[in-house]
Amino acid sequence: MKNNAIVANIGHFDSEIQIAGLKNFKWDEIKPQVHHVEFPDGKKIIVLSEGRLVNLGNATGHPSFVMSASFTNQTLAQIELWTNGKSYKNEVYTLPKHLDEKVATLHLEKLGVKLTKLSKEQADYIGVPTAGPFKPDHYRY
Amino acid sequence: MSAKDYVVKDISLADYGRKEINIAETEMPGLMAVRAEYGPKQPLKGARIAGSLHMTIQTAVLIETLQALGADVRWASCNIFSTQDHAAAAIAAKGTPVFAVKGESLEEYWDYTHRIFEWPNGQYANMILDDGGDATLLCVLGPKAEKDAGVIADHSNEEEQALFGMIRKYLKEKPGFYEAIRASVKGVSEETTTGVHRLYEMAKRGDLPFPAINVNDSVTKSKFDNLYGCRESLVDAIRRGTDVMLSGKVAVVAGYGDVGKGSAASLRQGGARVMVTEVDPICALQAAMEGYQVVTMEDAARTPTSSSPPPATRMSSPSITCGR
Repeated sequence: MKNNAIVANIGHFDSEIQIAGLKNFKWDEIKPQVHHVEFPDGKKIIVLSEGRLVNLGNATGHPSFVMSASFTNQTLAQIELWTNGKSYKNEVYTLPKHLDEKVATLHLEKLGVKLTKLSKEQADYIGVPTAGPFKPDHYRY
Repeated sequence: MSAKDYVVKDISLADYGRKEINIAETEMPGLMAVRAEYGPKQPLKGARIAGSLHMTIQTAVLIETLQALGADVRWASCNIFSTQDHAAAAIAAKGTPVFAVKGESLEEYWDYTHRIFEWPNGQYANMILDDGGDATLLCVLGPKAEKDAGVIADHSNEEEQALFGMIRKYLKEKPGFYEAIRASVKGVSEETTTGVHRLYEMAKRGDLPFPAINVNDSVTKSKFDNLYGCRESLVDAIRRGTDVMLSGKVAVVAGYGDVGKGSAASLRQGGARVMVTEVDPICALQAAMEGYQVVTMEDAARTPTSSSPPPATRMSSPSITCGR
């Protein structure tokens, strides 16, 4: 890598960059969450957020709009587990597709999206209900 | 509530945080619609949610949505650097117990992650909202340590050192704590790829003590947050951190899953020339079809003086690499 190459990780843990190994070299804090790491040959790299997730360490994470979709899923999951938890085993589940489509639907108006409605005839032809779900569970988007 | 059932950096930041929360609400139509639809029914009444998720402005809107649906919550960040101190202050000022400081130590982090389970009246959390799986981990590893302290005898990194240290403290000061939280919690919803991976591993081993909902793999999560979220926030972070001009730089993105796709797009939209490394042939082919050069990290990091890669793959100075 070149001198002053910027090295960052946007995954959850700091293990994706070998920070423990880099700790053997000289660290100089430029400002919080921004460090110079100097190799023995004098070459430096700039490490952001000490290898922890950079978008939340050096900025403010994802914008509100996209987090609304994520957190609406979180809220629906909490409601489902709290009100209907007894019908689940100690396993890992995903939310059903109709709720996924609901979350998307709740974010359309804000963006001025005009959704086309399937006629009964069209829906029958492609074999889905007019109100969805519009894709089989194996569909990958 | 005790006099000060929270830890934030500066409670006087609450007004600033509240103003940004008010703006965020207008950008979070899903959460606001859920409040309107479910608020009157109070479906989360009785739920005591231990929340372990980056204490940001957006998370503040989530917390207040859960409360609007009847839940009682205690909250901590799931990363030592991810808290927005004004968001934490605004939540604390409203009387919600929150334990989150940007730049907290690992010891403080694990202390806070424990405290979200402990209600002042002696009750424990009965739900977990997790991001990365650390809160869930306490309900799995903790009871094992109560049976056999050997499982936390040797740490392999500083993260584990802090975690094991805190577990030892609880074993000594609050015997039975972990078995109690394990028995109390009825379920967990998990936010992210890493946490979901941990959950499936636990389920495979038969270690999962309660049902889990994998929120990450909702299409409206991973195909949006992981992709479009990173597309906006990655270069935001690099620019705030370094002020470097991205245009013309060579960037390497390690991994082309949902996060990698968003990260590569982020850098490309910033004007960088983007290369991708992959181990998965499907993701590698996707990257190539999208017009990215797919290389090995060894080739990408090679200097212009070395012989093999063609000029376009040589890293300019400075260069940018991104894990994921």
